[in-house]
Amino acid sequence: MEKIISIKDLNYTYPDAKHPAINNLSLDIYKNEWVSIVGKNGSGKSTLTKLIDGLIEAESGTIAIDGQIINEDNIWEARTKIGIVFQNPDHQFVGATVEDDVAFGLENQGIPRDKMVTEVDEALKLVKMSDFKKRDPQSLSGGQKQRVAIAGVLATKPQIIIMDESTSMLDPDGRRTVLNLVQQLRQEQDLTIISITHDIEETELSQRIVVINDGKIVQDGKPVEIYDLGSNLRKFGLEEPFTNKLISTLGDKLKLPEGYLNEEELKQQLWKLHSIM
Amino acid sequence: MDKIILGRYLPGDSLIYRLDPRGKFLLTFYFVGIVFLANNVASYAFLLAFVLFAVYLSKINLGFFIKGLKPVFWLILFTVVLQLLFTPSSHPIWHWGIFTLSKEGMVIAGYIFMRFILIIFISTLLTLTTTPIEISDSIESILKPLKKVRFPVTQVALMLSIALRFVPLLVDETTKIMDAQRARGVDFGEGGIIKRIKSFVPILIPLFVSSFSIAYDLAIAMESRGYKDGEGRSKYRVLSWSKRDNLMVIFMAAVTIILLFLRSY
Repeated sequence: MEKIISIKDLNYTYPDAKHPAINNLSLDIYKNEWVSIVGKNGSGKSTLTKLIDGLIEAESGTIAIDGQIINEDNIWEARTKIGIVFQNPDHQFVGATVEDDVAFGLENQGIPRDKMVTEVDEALKLVKMSDFKKRDPQSLSGGQKQRVAIAGVLATKPQIIIMDESTSMLDPDGRRTVLNLVQQLRQEQDLTIISITHDIEETELSQRIVVINDGKIVQDGKPVEIYDLGSNLRKFGLEEPFTNKLISTLGDKLKLPEGYLNEEELKQQLWKLHSIM
Repeated sequence: MDKIILGRYLPGDSLIYRLDPRGKFLLTFYFVGIVFLANNVASYAFLLAFVLFAVYLSKINLGFFIKGLKPVFWLILFTVVLQLLFTPSSHPIWHWGIFTLSKEGMVIAGYIFMRFILIIFISTLLTLTTTPIEISDSIESILKPLKKVRFPVTQVALMLSIALRFVPLLVDETTKIMDAQRARGVDFGEGGIIKRIKSFVPILIPLFVSSFSIAYDLAIAMESRGYKDGEGRSKYRVLSWSKRDNLMVIFMAAVTIILLFLRSY
């Protein structure tokens, strides 16, 4: 598999902070992968995003995007390969209308207007927001705003999309739509997705989970392996997945298999028990 | 806050809505200028007829324009009364101390009143039919020549449009902060004027803090989307000058000629 992001021995400390936010961190992310980076507040996960996009400068270490080590000269080129969807939908809307906002990234690249019009339309179609083209952002729901933010990012045709807690301010419905949309886009557009979250439940669709604590990677594995850590997840300030908690509560009374089960598998097991009874 | 009509956009569609915002913007200013040329009943009546005709073309209810007068009602009243009582005259109808009421005073007060009406109606017509973003685009387009003297026109226009975009968000933020203060027992509607003003300080400080944090988030988001310094950007929104805009300019020229004629009549 081809590496799209390669981070080596990265260090970063905020001005006036005692402890480093990123502590000698190395990480490889492969093409078309969906990686979830999880950690509690202050673990360094959002700092990592900003470092990857060159929004802040690392003290030491290197970051290579698509094979090229980023520096001051090529950062703008690297940024065109990365799109970030941030946490608060209201704080990233630049345009006065939906279409204006989607066009913002294209305007920055100096794309001619005729081309912009078709690309804005295409991007809005991908996130199923074409009907809202002329609307002003204030009239949209949180989930719709994030879909527009995704369209704004897609319009510039990036290879990597970073979701920086982008679903944390959404209701369950909005969150599900956004996550499913991202999954679909990853497959159709051959995108690499990095989702950053403190909520373990949001990592279900990803293929790999990286747990960060105190600026270091403490776990890296397939979701099932991470969920299997069970109560050990609490050491990193994370909640256990819902089904884990349910199984450990039921475990005293019922005989359930060891290891992580997703909701569907757990349901199957419970039905099995029901039919034995 | 909902009651202020002056400066607000009203979604709709009519000839006036479809005119190029640059033309509307400049001609509104032009009209405000020529209002001061009117000097007799005929010329004021003619300008009023023109404004009412423009209002008719906009298909907006005249009521909106009358409501637009509300915030400046006291200012109009004050100015008119001032003119009415302090215009010096050799044939006063009524005289008491420094106050004089005369025919000339009444005429001048009437003219002043008409000026207010004309100016407020025409500027309300501009803002009701033009979105803030169209106005900011027009300003950008009109100021473009200043680029030659290195004035950052595009940056200023972007700042203006972002500021406009964040007004509703900051209004929300203010409501939130006020609710939070109310929940802790602050009463904004009580006490004398000094006390009321004082109670707004605890709103302004959190509002400033949150504006800065929004600005920081927005700057990061803009940078991540490739915004550098405003140079080499293309524009998605375009303004197009069409035949009807030419017609409007010609019409306005005709209005000026008739006005000049009526003036010396």
